Amino acid sequence: MGKIRVGKPDVKIDAPTHVKGIHQGNTGPYDKQPGHHQDGTADARRSTGIYPKRHNPILKIMPNLPPG
Amino acid sequence: MTVTERASAGTKPPQIVEMSWDPITRIIGNLGIYTKIDFANQQVTECHSTSSLFRGYSVFMRGKDPRDAGFITSRICGICGDNHTTCSVYAQNMAYGIDNPPLAEHIINLGEAAEYMFDHTIFQDNLVFVDFCEAMVKQTNPSVLARAEKTQAPSAEIHGYRTIADIMRAYNPFEGEVYKQALKVSRTTREMFCTMEGRHVHPSTVYPGGVGTMPEPTTFTDYLTRLLSILDFVKQSVAMNDDVFDFFYEALPGYEEVGRRRILLGCWGAYQDPTACDYRYEHMTDWGRAMKVTPGIIVDGQQITTDLVDINLGIRILLGSSYYDDWVNEDPFVTHDPLGNPVDIRHPWNQTTFPVPQKRNFDGNYSWVMSPRWFDKRTGDHLALDTGGGPLARLWSTALAGLVDTEYVKSTGSSVLISLPRSEKLPEMTLEWKIPKWSNALERNRARTYFVAYSAALAVHFLDVALDLIRGGDIKVFNNFSVPDEAVGCGFHEAVRGVLSHHLVIRDGKIANYHPYPPTPWNGSPRDSYGTPGPYEDAVQDMPIFEENGPDNFKGVDIMRAVRSFDPCLPCGVHMHLGQGRVLKKLHSPMLGASHG
Repeated sequence: MGKIRVGKPDVKIDAPTHVKGIHQGNTGPYDKQPGHHQDGTADARRSTGIYPKRHNPILKIMPNLPPG
Repeated sequence: MTVTERASAGTKPPQIVEMSWDPITRIIGNLGIYTKIDFANQQVTECHSTSSLFRGYSVFMRGKDPRDAGFITSRICGICGDNHTTCSVYAQNMAYGIDNPPLAEHIINLGEAAEYMFDHTIFQDNLVFVDFCEAMVKQTNPSVLARAEKTQAPSAEIHGYRTIADIMRAYNPFEGEVYKQALKVSRTTREMFCTMEGRHVHPSTVYPGGVGTMPEPTTFTDYLTRLLSILDFVKQSVAMNDDVFDFFYEALPGYEEVGRRRILLGCWGAYQDPTACDYRYEHMTDWGRAMKVTPGIIVDGQQITTDLVDINLGIRILLGSSYYDDWVNEDPFVTHDPLGNPVDIRHPWNQTTFPVPQKRNFDGNYSWVMSPRWFDKRTGDHLALDTGGGPLARLWSTALAGLVDTEYVKSTGSSVLISLPRSEKLPEMTLEWKIPKWSNALERNRARTYFVAYSAALAVHFLDVALDLIRGGDIKVFNNFSVPDEAVGCGFHEAVRGVLSHHLVIRDGKIANYHPYPPTPWNGSPRDSYGTPGPYEDAVQDMPIFEENGPDNFKGVDIMRAVRSFDPCLPCGVHMHLGQGRVLKKLHSPMLGASHG
């Protein structure tokens, strides 16, 4: 801060750098979010827990585009 | 010197009156313009631009987690915060060695396009046009209004206003049709923005490595329906702008001198192309040129570079009239860029901010804004580039480079063609923005509406590509990453009002140095150590005055038009208010794992 006289900081400057117990966000929490796959795709389980497989496309070549 | 040279206006003995506007209204932040006006010769003789606001982002970013940078820097601005988030993401991607998946890149592009449309519309129609509306012109130039009443509007069949005065009445604040319609449009464009980036203006779903937006087909169709609903307004406003600005040139001969300065424009490029962009510094030249707004520097009408590496290495932060101590004796953070080129101590990567509050003195230091300049290695000059309010430099650079070619926008080398699809009332239209003769107030304002059209047309293109990806089942929007212990990164983007760069140095996994350089430090900079005035000062100095009022009821509308044409936004001009502030209330916010109370 140059020559400006400043008080003692209340918190360390890097305060919320990382708080234990909080997800870092660099990778997806795949185990906590069913329906989201590692490769970035998703299936109907992302949108619903009620008979999700019935809402998946009927052929493998079809894109899986679950709503919401 | 890089100042603008003008012919002297008159030879009458000068009658100099000091006039100052501090703060200037209808802009964000605290900008003061101090002038000396020669009323005998109707000319401004001297101008100083000053800001009394210091914020210290580059000071308090040090030591923080680099992943927080996008969320913190977003708060620099309450109107273009997302541009900062996006730029920070670009810089972080480079530092972490990752890129965004194609669909994520298009989602960011669509969000940014909506931001440009929103911000330009609200600024142009609700703030700038107050200077051109009937109520204002009646007070400042009654003879011009009388002429406007008799002048037919050439594009009346598009916008429906018969005379120029009718258009001016539609610009009247709170009552005029265009003013009211613009407010509705800015709501729609904000909704479009939120569809893509979660929240306006500080996005909640834009991170390094991609986005958190759920890429459903309806995300994009929701955007498209809103976009189509505003196209009539966009087409009409381009026609109205052309009519009004052409009329001003005609009615007030010599009006091109208002806000005119030497053509010194900078554009850092916008809209990444995911097929080319890998965020590696080594390939920055190529992916920079693939951007859908081409980066470039234009000096006297010539584009001297489109290379982002050149642009990056030429940036110099000068002092001279700013309230800071110099950092030349500090250790540099980055001596060489990843390509091995030497990096100057005055480059943002090496800058350390030492604020020194002091009294304002127009013969010494008078502003919290520093003086960013671009070093032209051909001539050895430190160029005081301006952004032309943003759109002027973007369109100019894109037009000259001739690199952008999509089905909706095309750069021809001397102009930019913009095709807009059919909308509710108006048919499909192709608009052409041609490179103007001058870099002046009217052309900066005119380019703004054309850039709304440009963004709208590109948004249609991004929607096409994004929906193609989705139909193919590619819905990946995020790449995993880890934060390195040591890294450097830079991001180049366009904030709404012009160039935006973020320079980042990571050491021990924390931010060692972070410098955002938004457009207003470039535009609103004071005189640098070489004595070169900043763009506002240069544009206003020696400018002729066309207002019919004398010193007693002088409004300074011509000066305000010149300054507002740059779209000034001072919160980003300077980076905490110091002083004997009183602590109102001290709060401690508890959080999970609170160990740093």
